[in-house]
Amino acid sequence: MASRAILWIAIAVVVIAIIGGLAWYLSRETAQETAQTPQALQPTGEKEGCVIKIGFTTSLTGKLQKESAEQLNGIKLWADEVNSKGGIKLPDGRKCTVKLVYYDDESKSARVQELYQKLITDDKVDYLISPYSSGLTAAAAAVTDGYHKVMIATGAASDSIFTKGYQYVYQLYTPASRYMTSAVDLLLELDQSNKKVALLFENSKFAKSVASATKAYLEEKGFQIVYEDYYPPGTTDFATYIAKISASGATALLGGGHFQDGFNLVKQLYSANIKSIKYVAILVAPPEPAFAELGDAAVGVIGPSQWEPGVKYSPEAAKKLGIEWYGPTVDEFVKAYKSKYGKTPGYHAAGGYAAGLVLQYVIEKAGLDTEKAKEILDNLDIMTFWGRIKFYKEADKHGLQIGHSMVLVQWQKTDGKLTKVIVYPEAAAEAKAVYPIPWSK
Amino acid sequence: MEAKNILRELARGRMITNITVAAIILALLTIGIGSLYSETLSYYRETLSTFMMLFSVVLGLNIILGYTGYVSFGHAVFFGIGGYTAMVLMYYYGVNVYLAMIIAALAAMAAAQAIGFIVLRLRGAYFAIATIAVLEAFRVIVSNVEYLGGSEGLQLEASYYTGYSIAGYRGQMSVHYIAYFLLLGTVTLGLLLNLYVSRSQFGAGLRAIREDEDAAEAIGINTWKFKTLAYVLSSITPALAGAIIAWKRNIVLPEEFFSLTLSIESIISVMLGGAGTVLGTVTGTAIYHTVKTIFLTSFPSLHLIIFGITIAFIAEVLPMGIIGWLRLMSTRLRFLLE
Repeated sequence: MASRAILWIAIAVVVIAIIGGLAWYLSRETAQETAQTPQALQPTGEKEGCVIKIGFTTSLTGKLQKESAEQLNGIKLWADEVNSKGGIKLPDGRKCTVKLVYYDDESKSARVQELYQKLITDDKVDYLISPYSSGLTAAAAAVTDGYHKVMIATGAASDSIFTKGYQYVYQLYTPASRYMTSAVDLLLELDQSNKKVALLFENSKFAKSVASATKAYLEEKGFQIVYEDYYPPGTTDFATYIAKISASGATALLGGGHFQDGFNLVKQLYSANIKSIKYVAILVAPPEPAFAELGDAAVGVIGPSQWEPGVKYSPEAAKKLGIEWYGPTVDEFVKAYKSKYGKTPGYHAAGGYAAGLVLQYVIEKAGLDTEKAKEILDNLDIMTFWGRIKFYKEADKHGLQIGHSMVLVQWQKTDGKLTKVIVYPEAAAEAKAVYPIPWSK
Repeated sequence: MEAKNILRELARGRMITNITVAAIILALLTIGIGSLYSETLSYYRETLSTFMMLFSVVLGLNIILGYTGYVSFGHAVFFGIGGYTAMVLMYYYGVNVYLAMIIAALAAMAAAQAIGFIVLRLRGAYFAIATIAVLEAFRVIVSNVEYLGGSEGLQLEASYYTGYSIAGYRGQMSVHYIAYFLLLGTVTLGLLLNLYVSRSQFGAGLRAIREDEDAAEAIGINTWKFKTLAYVLSSITPALAGAIIAWKRNIVLPEEFFSLTLSIESIISVMLGGAGTVLGTVTGTAIYHTVKTIFLTSFPSLHLIIFGITIAFIAEVLPMGIIGWLRLMSTRLRFLLE
């Protein structure tokens, strides 16, 4: 018994030592990556260098891991680009490099509050970026706003965070209330007679708030909602829902929640072969490249996206609106991302980069003075590769995004190849929307 | 050992426990007060708040799992009931947190009575499965009731907090400090409850049920009454913690308040320290929480691997828990470590 215990202890010690050493080695490498030596990169003649700390948590583990990892990639790319140019120039003439300080929040809000407290009082970061997802951002805001720390919320689309009276939180995403409205507008444009809509959303914080806003908008536009249901998170079998939708006589379907459930829903909808449904718009899943795995089932499916590599925001477009253009162009960003990570960026990655970009703009104008930064953000109206960025500045919905808008993508088959194209709004469209959805023919 | 010696050692053991418990509470109190005046302690305040949240659930769980031997696998259900009751009172009626947490605890006790009426008829693995089912049922029901916010949860306005203040901190800034002291109060209550169970005839009855329920019944213990009471007592501190955390976090969400992860973490903590011991609850939770926090901040990408190995190691080498293992080492320690 005793010798067995000793054997176990020995094994455990060895394994922990190996992993510990490995972890130390890896963390040492990433530390070097983020905090590049300022002297070496700085052009001579600049004033003394300094370091600006940007803090946030990211979900390296837990259910939000996939989206959060993309967002982190975006933020890291931004920091690397800034540092490779020697840093950000402050109003007082100093040039400062950026250091990212971040921890794993395990996709849990208890961790988020603990770690944001640490970032503010222990690591003494200068500016904050939100965690991924609305739930976690709400928990983080309860800590950060009290300290009057500016936090750029990316990956958080919920409206409710911004009706709670926070004064230092700013949203980059188009809020949930406007997520699906353009899908309704597109349907109106395509077919005036298609009025029978079925709603099938996931029963989660985000999808539910999209659903209630969409429902109100549909009713306002004179649609008839013939079916409405909410499936529990993690649902994989949609057979009963699909049977009910079919029986309801719906001619359009709006729904979804996150990637996996949206993916399964479309797959099963396709194999159910309901001819009456001519228009399908699904949350979150269609913009993801992995959606192409559905093959023929993906063709014709519409999805709202915060951002796509094909968006047409440009310095010229900004000029037309009479607002300032800031940062890299869409192509420059996509190219840089591809060369660093070897894949096309999705909107989570773009949102991460954009959060850094907004901070960069603010730091250039306000330095490290939070109150001044707040003033600049309140009056911000710029265009970047991410789109137009403008925040609601009255107290009732302070920080809510009002400048940015969604685009709609659709999977289409051109020359036998599946491609994802932007179909709405017209100004950004790469192709005309296919209607009705091919399988209904 | 002679009976006289045993009594003396037992008394000495109780003294050691009393001093340890008092020292822990005093240390936590000092850190809390210190954090009011020194910003460098703020992070420790937050870490310890999370620790005390887990500890509150652990202290409740120890009564039913440790002393009575019923593995309640879904003990976070009381955390959720407490959190949601308090949030409904604060959100719809503007009730202050102090009253809300008391009502939350009473609601959880009533719920424990009702749930216990059904699940305490089962034993062993069947009981464990039933408690998981209860937790899941609550989560699903809550995420479908509009009044409780459904899957979107309920979130308090920033203006709700204006009335609170402590040592010069006002509104939202004071919340994290006040929550710390409220959690400390909850933990103190939990420790006292555990000490009571550990030393009373009631506790002896529970232990008899743990060792052999039928034999306990045969020697005249009203097992039904005893275990129901134990179950009700075990719901108090989790519910109080739930109420405080709902207030502190300003938002309740079904998957975070009726969380299987929290249930499992508290079971691990109880088992790690040694089920059915007062010192074990402290040791287990402290080690679990510290190790997890260190791994989480130092090795963000590898912490789960290291953590898994540590737990497998403990389960293999120390199945009785740390305090349980020490108690096995010698008869003397058996009496000394309560």
